[in-house]
Order: sequence, then structure tokens, then C-alpha cells
Amino acid sequence: MAKRVLIVDDAIFMRNMIKDIFSGSGFEVAGEAANGLEAVEKYRELKPDLTTMDIVMPFKSGIEATREIIKADPRAVIVMCSALGQESLVMEAIEAGASDFIVKPFKSEDVLSVVKKVLGD
Amino acid sequence: MPIDLNRYLTLFVAEAGEHLAGFSRELLALEQAVRAGSAGDAVKPAVDALFRHAHSVKGMSASMQQEAITGLAHQAEDLIDLYRRDPSLVDAAGVDLLLDTSDVLAELVERASRGEKPIGDAALSKRLQDSIRQVKDGRPVTPSASPSPPSMAAGAPPAPPAPSVPSVPPAPPVRDLYPTPLPSGVQRGGRRVVAEVTIGGPVPAVRAFLVVKKLSGVGIVTGTAPTVEELKAGRIPGKKLTVELETGESLDRLERALSQISDLTGVSLRETDQPAAPPVAPPPREAAPPPEPARTVRVRTEILDGFVDLVGELLLATARIREVGRALPDLHRPALDEGVDRLHGIVKELHGKVMAVRMTPLALVVEQLPRAARDVARKLGRQVEVELRGTEIELDRAILEVLSDPLLHVLRNAVDHGIEPPHLRLLAGKAATGHITVTARRERDRVILEIADDGKGMDPARLREAAVARGQLEAAAAATLSDRESLLLACLPGLSTAEQVTDVSGRGVGLDAVKRTVEAVGGALEIESAPGVGTRLVLRLPLTVAVQPVLLVGVGAEVVGLPISKVHGAATVSFSSLDRSRGGPLLAYDGELVPVHDLAALLGFEPCGRDERSVVVAEGIDGRIGLCVDALLGQQEAVLKPLGAPLGAVAGLSAVTVLGTGRPVFILDVTKLLAA
Repeated sequence: MAKRVLIVDDAIFMRNMIKDIFSGSGFEVAGEAANGLEAVEKYRELKPDLTTMDIVMPFKSGIEATREIIKADPRAVIVMCSALGQESLVMEAIEAGASDFIVKPFKSEDVLSVVKKVLGD
Repeated sequence: MPIDLNRYLTLFVAEAGEHLAGFSRELLALEQAVRAGSAGDAVKPAVDALFRHAHSVKGMSASMQQEAITGLAHQAEDLIDLYRRDPSLVDAAGVDLLLDTSDVLAELVERASRGEKPIGDAALSKRLQDSIRQVKDGRPVTPSASPSPPSMAAGAPPAPPAPSVPSVPPAPPVRDLYPTPLPSGVQRGGRRVVAEVTIGGPVPAVRAFLVVKKLSGVGIVTGTAPTVEELKAGRIPGKKLTVELETGESLDRLERALSQISDLTGVSLRETDQPAAPPVAPPPREAAPPPEPARTVRVRTEILDGFVDLVGELLLATARIREVGRALPDLHRPALDEGVDRLHGIVKELHGKVMAVRMTPLALVVEQLPRAARDVARKLGRQVEVELRGTEIELDRAILEVLSDPLLHVLRNAVDHGIEPPHLRLLAGKAATGHITVTARRERDRVILEIADDGKGMDPARLREAAVARGQLEAAAAATLSDRESLLLACLPGLSTAEQVTDVSGRGVGLDAVKRTVEAVGGALEIESAPGVGTRLVLRLPLTVAVQPVLLVGVGAEVVGLPISKVHGAATVSFSSLDRSRGGPLLAYDGELVPVHDLAALLGFEPCGRDERSVVVAEGIDGRIGLCVDALLGQQEAVLKPLGAPLGAVAGLSAVTVLGTGRPVFILDVTKLLAA
């Protein structure tokens, strides 16, 4: 069965880009969220196999969302999408329970390779 | 599989643009706050928002491989990050620099939208770099959350971030992760293992940190080299990490855990027998409940426009069915009419909903004004503040879009010609800083938008003189103009009383264009001014432009529409028996004599030979006029579409609509038709 992905990013265009990468590679994009609050809700609702999480977002950061999701579901697999110069934030996300991270700008093969590894495929 | 970035360009440009607009808005708020002397925690929310905007722009542009934008946004982010740590460091120079950065970023995005790959602004980049260093040196600032080792970037950006300053004091421990408590299910066991990992890919320190975290999930990490603190500072010499841990798990299990992490180029695990330190629990932490976000969806404007068009077609089709029904025998008509009435009601409701979706707060176009005013004021050595009121008032997006440039012009005009230089203001007993208010309010189905300044005002007499001097007005006619009417002379093309044409305004093209635009959407422009006191421009705008009731009339073989708003009534007359005592034919209508024009002749069609004609009484230039037509075809809700070139240039035509039969019909602008 196709693995189900939740995509979290406040920029639609980033979500579209990530969505295209996944849907072109045998994943099912189960849902999207535009901020940390939505991410936590959508996660609870969709229970995806994988969540890609932007870090700096309005209302609730990706780090806090990660922390909450992991608290509710310690087995959640969350991959942070970070940008240039966010090392300490990524580390904070890792402390919060993120499984791995990708750095923008990313190539689709980088994303897929990271994702396949964290999913243990 | 390469990503086709062009597919995302439109969205990127739109979203980056929104973030930059927000960025600029926050900066202005910040500037006001700094000027008012409030800094520190009071400005923290604005600084946080600035950071988010800069950060979003950086992330998106990196993904679009727009290195110049990424580099600049990154530097802005670095500077703002310092402010975030200590808001008291925000100063006017810094805000200025960031405003400049915002402009350059907007320009770079604009160029990216045209498919260019712009290069950065080296001078600005240098200024940012200097400023970052200065802020860091000026006060001991805790190290940035963004240590940004150069290896983070896939390709080195043309505007490199400021080099990290080695003398910066160490950060207070964010929250020490290690040693950690024993995660549930982890075997403490007696085995001590040393893992040596070589790391590839970007940001090796972060990846090393991930390794440490991963291993802490399968045992107790008792030591790392480099230390966790060093990793947090981005230091990992030779990209090699050594982790010591105490675990009950097999080496196999540890290896499997590490195999889930990407970019590890070498992993070696071996057992040892050194003792481990006792674990200490990290402090818990609390998070404040965040505000609820508004639930919105984003819809492309073309889709909205498509809705309006479709609803318009529905209205027309309904009218068509009603028309066809008239030919039915009386027996069947009531049932059909009832159905058509119901359909019409539903379509009207749908139309209302669709229009409601198109309603957009005025904020969208007026929020750019304070910034624009500030820029002009700086250039001209004026001091001005702009106050916005009622920006939550909503208008049809189509109207807002065309208003954007005219409003900008009005504002620049106000600063350039209205607000006096500070010394003159002081002499005149006014505050040195000029005040411009932009006020919106709703009056029934209209929105009134006022732009008022407390500048030097306009002199009606001078406007009259200028118009006469330029041959745009007869001296005799000028003498009969009231002051109020004279002020509207400022709208004549090419008329400007400005002594000097600046590159800001004063070419006399502005108000003329403003007036035309406002009228094109069915609005009106008024000017009030008093010399020495100020000028007030009043724009009366309809809430929506798209659908208007029109009266369809037949002229020869043609059908044209007249806006019902301009029609007073109609009468059937015998053309030859009209009163011609004062030259042209006159119609006695509603107690007055109305001059009658043959619409066919005005439009250049063959005149009709019939004597029995219909006359539509409409609003002319001064008072009512009669338009002689061949047939009154009925009233209809028409979806008005603006005329493009070259039809737009034809005087007397204001728009076009399409009938249920698919026939295009021009809507007439009666006053322009008479003037032509």
C-alpha cells in the first residue's frame, strides 16, 4: 500500500513542489497543513506514515508541532524541511523528535532518499 | 528527476510578494515605534513577524534556486535575528537598511517573475554585513540561532552571510540534551559501545546531532566527540563523530537504527569497557497556547472572475428563457413564469454570494500608501505621516485593482504639492510633520474614500488662470466657474500649477488619470481644498462593477444598452409633432422640456424613417436629454465587460455585454456620446 504523507508548509508553492515529488513517486499525499496548529490537527485526523514539516510558520512553529505530535504519537515519522541557516532550529526539532531533515533547495531524489531511509524501506 | 521550477514561478512570485509586503508593513510600524521612542519588548512582535517574513522569502527563493534573493533574505534574517534577541537594538538606521533591502528584494522577485535569474546587490549586501557586525560588536549579543556554516548552501550564494564572529560569548545552554533519561523500552544493559561515524552531505554538524539523538533512543549516550555543544555551534572537524553509549541492544540493532539516517558515509561500532556517567533528567518546558488561525483557502483570481462571468451568463440565459416564454400560449405561461422567477431569484442569490467572495478589504491597496508617502517625503525633504482608517471596508477586487495606481498617485501628489517643507509649515503655524489621512467608509451601496492632507491646498483662481493660459478654457467660461468646479480643473490633462515638474508628480497627468479611472468603474471624484489649510479628495465608489441593470434599445438593426442608473423614463412620441420652437426637437417630460437627440444619428447609423418613435429620457451633461430610438427591448441584468483596445478608445462606448442569444451589445456612455 502506498505510504501516506502529510505535507506541512506555510507556502503553497512549497507544498505543491513537495506534493509533486511525492505523488510522482508512489506516495499518497494524504493531506496538507499551512501552519503548526493545522499540522497537529491534521496529523491526529490522518495518522500519516510520514510528515514533512516546515520549521518557521505562523501560529505554531514546526518545532512545537513536532513536539506535540511526537508526544501524542511517539512513533510519528517527521522529516523537517529546513532552509539555509537553520541549524540550531533543526537540532531543536531533532530534540523534539524529528526523524530526519532535508535542506532547501532540495532535489527530489534527495527528498525521496531521506524519506525511504527513515521509513526503513 | 529534476524539478521543473517554472511550474512554481507564479505561486512563488505571489507568495514572496505577499511576504515582502508584510515585511515592509512591519518595518513601517517598527519605524513609527522607534521614532516614538518605544523599543524593547514593545516592538518584539513586529520583529518576530519580520523574521518570519524574511525567513519565508529565504526558504522559497532557495527552493526556486534564486540565489541572489536567498542570499539577501538570509542577511536580512541574520540582522533581524539579532534584533529578536535584543529588541532594544532596533534603531532607525537598521529599519532604513531593511526597508532598502525590502525594495531590492521586491525588485529581484519582480525580475524573477520575468524568468530572469537576477544577481544580487553587492553594495546592499555589504551594508547588511557591516550592520550585522556593528550590532554584534556594539553590544554582546548571544550567538545567532543561525550559525550558518558555509557548507549549508548547496551552491555558495553570491551574497554570503556575515562571517561568524569568533569572539562572541558562548550561548547559554539552550537546554542540554545529554545525558538523557532512559527512554522507555531501552535496555540499559551492561554493554558499552563506541560508534564512529563519518558524515557526508550538507550541514554535517546537524546530521551528527541526529546520530547522537538516534543513538540516545537505543541506549544511554555517555559522551560524544565533538561535544554536543560544539555540534550545536556547527563545529565538526573532519566530519567525524564519535559517540560512547551504554546499551543493552545488539550491535546489529544499533547499526539498523543508524541505517535510517541519510548521508552517513562510514559507520563503525565496537564494544569497550569504560564506565559511564549517571544520567540526569532535563528540565520540562511549557508552551503558551497559540491563537486560532483563520480558516481560509486561496483561490486564483481568474477562477473568481470566471465565476462572475458564469453567473452573468446564467442571468442572461434566464432572461432569454423569460423572453421565449412570452411567445407561449397564455395557458402555459404562469407555470413557466413561476419557474423562471424562482430561477432568477436563485441566480441573483448566487450572484450575491459570488460577489461577496470577490469583496476584498481596502487594506490590500491602501497599506502600501504609508510607505510610498514616506519614500517621496524623504526624497523631497518633507516630513509626513499617513493615517489609515477604515481599511477593513470591502470593495470588489476588480475596483481595488484599478484603484491601486491612482491612489498611489494621489498620495504622491499630496506629499509633493500639498505638504510644505517643514520650515514653511512651522512658519505657517503648523506642525513640522504633515498629516495625511486616508479614510474609507461605507455609505449604503457606495464606498467613500477620502484622502485629506493638511498641506498648502489648491488655489481655484490659479487653476482657472492656468487652464486659460494653456488654452484649455475660455476666459469667459473660467469666470463663470465656481471655486468647487475650478478645483476639478486640476484633473485636466496636462494642467499643473506646480512651479517645477519633479519626478514624483506635477506633470499634470495624474489627477486626470485618477478621475478617468474612478469614473470608469462607475464612481465619481470630488475635490475640496482651501489654500493654506489642505486638500481633500473624495472618491465615491460603487461596491461592485460587474453586473448592472441596463435598458436595451433597438436602433435600426442594432441593439445597444443604456445603464438604468442614467435612465429616468421613456415615452412614445410622434417624432414630427415634437415641439421645435427653439431649434431642435423638445419633449415635454415630467414638467420640463427635454432636448431630444436621434440616437441613430449620434451613433452614425441610418436615420429611421418612421414617425412613431420611443424616446428614452436619460441623464445628460447638464440635465435630462431625450434619446430617440426605434424600439424599447426591455431591462436586463448585464454583466459588463470592459472594452479593450481599440474599442476602448471609441467615445461613447463604456462596456460590452453578451445577450442570451450570444449577441454582443455595447453599453453607451450617454454624456460622452453627446460630447463626441
